[in-house]
Amino acid sequence: MERRPVRQVSVEAGQDCLVGHFDAMASPCEILIESDDRAEAARLTKLAAGEAWRIEDKFSRYLAGNIVARMNSARGNAITVDDETASLLDFADTLHTLSKGRFDITSGVLREVWTFDGGDGLPDPQAVKDVLQRVGWDRVTWRRPVLTLQAGMEIDLGGIGKEYAVDRVAGRLREAGTCSALVNFGGDLAVTRAPRQRQAWRVGIEPVSAANNECNETVLEIATGALATSGDSRRYLQKDGIRYSHILDPRSGWPVERAPRSVTVAADTCTEAGMLSTLAMLEGYNAEAFLDGEGAMYWCRR
Amino acid sequence: MTERKQTSVSAALAAATCSLLGAAPIAPVQAQEDPGWDFNTALLYYGEDNDRVQDLSLNILGKRYFVDDRALSLGLTVDTLTGATPNGAIRQGVPQTFTRPSGSSVYTIPANELPLDDTFKDTRAALSVGWEQPLGRLWKTSVGLSGSFEYDYTHIGLNGSLSRDFNQRNTTVSAGLAIAHDTWDPVGGTPVPFAPMLDVGGTGNKTGGESKDVIDAVFGVTQVISRRLLVQLNYSFSNSSGYLTDPYKVLSLVDGVTGDTITRVPPPGVEGPSHEFRFESRPDDRTKHSLYTQAKYYMGGKVLDASYRYMTDDWEIDSHTVDLRLRWPVGERSYVEPHLRFYTQSEADFYTISLVDGTELPAFASSDYRLGNFDAVTAGLKYGWTTRGGNEMSIRAELYRQTGSIPGDLLIGNQVGRETYPDLDAIILQFSYRFSR
Amino acid sequence: MIKRNVTGFGIAVLVVLASGCSSMGVEPWERDILAKEEMQLTTDPVEAAIDDHIYFSKEASSGGRGFGGGGCGCN
Repeated sequence: MERRPVRQVSVEAGQDCLVGHFDAMASPCEILIESDDRAEAARLTKLAAGEAWRIEDKFSRYLAGNIVARMNSARGNAITVDDETASLLDFADTLHTLSKGRFDITSGVLREVWTFDGGDGLPDPQAVKDVLQRVGWDRVTWRRPVLTLQAGMEIDLGGIGKEYAVDRVAGRLREAGTCSALVNFGGDLAVTRAPRQRQAWRVGIEPVSAANNECNETVLEIATGALATSGDSRRYLQKDGIRYSHILDPRSGWPVERAPRSVTVAADTCTEAGMLSTLAMLEGYNAEAFLDGEGAMYWCRR
Repeated sequence: MTERKQTSVSAALAAATCSLLGAAPIAPVQAQEDPGWDFNTALLYYGEDNDRVQDLSLNILGKRYFVDDRALSLGLTVDTLTGATPNGAIRQGVPQTFTRPSGSSVYTIPANELPLDDTFKDTRAALSVGWEQPLGRLWKTSVGLSGSFEYDYTHIGLNGSLSRDFNQRNTTVSAGLAIAHDTWDPVGGTPVPFAPMLDVGGTGNKTGGESKDVIDAVFGVTQVISRRLLVQLNYSFSNSSGYLTDPYKVLSLVDGVTGDTITRVPPPGVEGPSHEFRFESRPDDRTKHSLYTQAKYYMGGKVLDASYRYMTDDWEIDSHTVDLRLRWPVGERSYVEPHLRFYTQSEADFYTISLVDGTELPAFASSDYRLGNFDAVTAGLKYGWTTRGGNEMSIRAELYRQTGSIPGDLLIGNQVGRETYPDLDAIILQFSYRFSR
Repeated sequence: MIKRNVTGFGIAVLVVLASGCSSMGVEPWERDILAKEEMQLTTDPVEAAIDDHIYFSKEASSGGRGFGGGGCGCN
């Protein structure tokens, strides 16, 4: 059972702004607020944390009793879900079609055979085949608002959850106040509205490999919109000189070939940015061509 | 026209996200890298054979982008020129002595050699500042200032351009205008047209500084033909007015029958020219028209760059230029790029080899080989690579060869067979480094 | 005069081309190759300026792609 981090909120001074801190969804979260009013910053941070924790509690697969746990323990019975969950399932369904099956929220069970710890422990191909029997959005019956999952299958919203939370939090902050805020959940971020006292918010894209001595951290100026990164800097396997990224192709159960080490995409919303970067990673060696073809703004490291 | 394929992924994704998050309006993303400055630097060596011109230059261009695709460019070039250049006089079977442009000393050329003047060791500095920015969604504009300074020549210029995209940015139409004012302050003064080259200390043939004004206009269309092919067509107009003559070049005054240069003897105790030379004179106006077209074609990783330019002017010069480059990727981080350029021009109507003694002077005359009839070929190879830090370096080596011919009707008497166009062989070496800070 | 005819011809060619070009091109999501650095019309502005300067001082023509030559006492 995961040990839950302590839920508390704090506000500190940043560079020409105030920064609210809290932990959510296994990431350090910060809200950069263009204001020098501490009380206002604290209010907004509490609002942001509240929404983030609400989403985490509702959709985390680590918690018993929430909608995800109920879906995953239904053993073949139909479950009626609420509007918000239904919208997420609709979204996942669209993405499954758009990515031609590469994006699949039922692929989480593959973690039973794959452990990406930097070692060389590849799974037995038969074991992968066996687990693959329990993977496939096509095997799910989804007719809003009723979901029917076969026994042994699981829904894992980890691939959309964080970016969705960033956008929800940004939306709440937009309604709740007038100053510009940057919502940053461990690198997935969004701006609520264009800042007034500065041209743009400045964020850094972390270079992936520490071995790259000349690494120039790329600094981005973002005035509106969102950023999301898909990457495998720590989660991979390496055997016989081949690097296996943790991005698994749910159709085969094996890692996508020649995926970039990291892809960062800028888009209007964090959800779109996250999905584009995920889809790009799933394209493997074709990632850049895919993003070029979509006219996306991106930074790719191989 | 390509039929509409299925809706792009990002459009469908945007729609799906809208359903997920609710239809509250979201501002479109505005984000860009803050790269600081992008620097493009190059070190160049240019050297001609036979002790002729050698040039070493350092070129730096810095560009900084701001939000919204606005950008500031700063450029600096410093170059030093040494070596000798033909002074316009013809060869003779005997040594020839010339007075230097400063009028303070002489130099002598051995018999049967092409007279070259090696007076010049010149250093030049050029600066430019430019600003470009979009105007609305489809228009772009730029303005710039340029200036260059050397001990006998100054240039200042102003330029601006405007462009607009059409057809989903498949077509771009652009127009540009540049004006410049250049001033000459030649060593020793500006020669009076056709004035004789005088002995050391003589100044009656020179006047003060001169200037010229240049106006350039360019109109162009760039068109995307397909996913792999882009073409451009430009029409340019250029007019220069003012002092267009080269103040350091002369013509030999020759006998109408033998074609040999008339000799002279300087007064006793004075050094001066051994033959009669007259300073050249060009018209004070020149209008040029050019039509330029370029295509870039992507062939599975390789890129072909092909261009053609036709130029014609009211000095009766016509030229054709064909330029071909093929960029060939090597591995993941480098490329080779062979390059071929073909050039041909026909001579100016006032181009001549010498002036005939006793006949009426023409309105204008110059024997500058660069106004003559010649072909030129450039062949080169460039190798470029990206460093691990993401910066780019390249080296290129090229050979430039000019071979010309003097129209038969310009050669008189002994000049036939002796006077040939001063063919040129030059090597171009360049090292370039592009990096960001 | 000849000069005015050449000017008029040049501009007419461009206008005809610009209007006839309205049906050619690619969709915005097909610009992947065109966006590559090596597909830009001028891939290296410094090298282009260097070449323009060399040929301006050794030949009687200049420019074409933009503002050409000038700015030195070498021609």
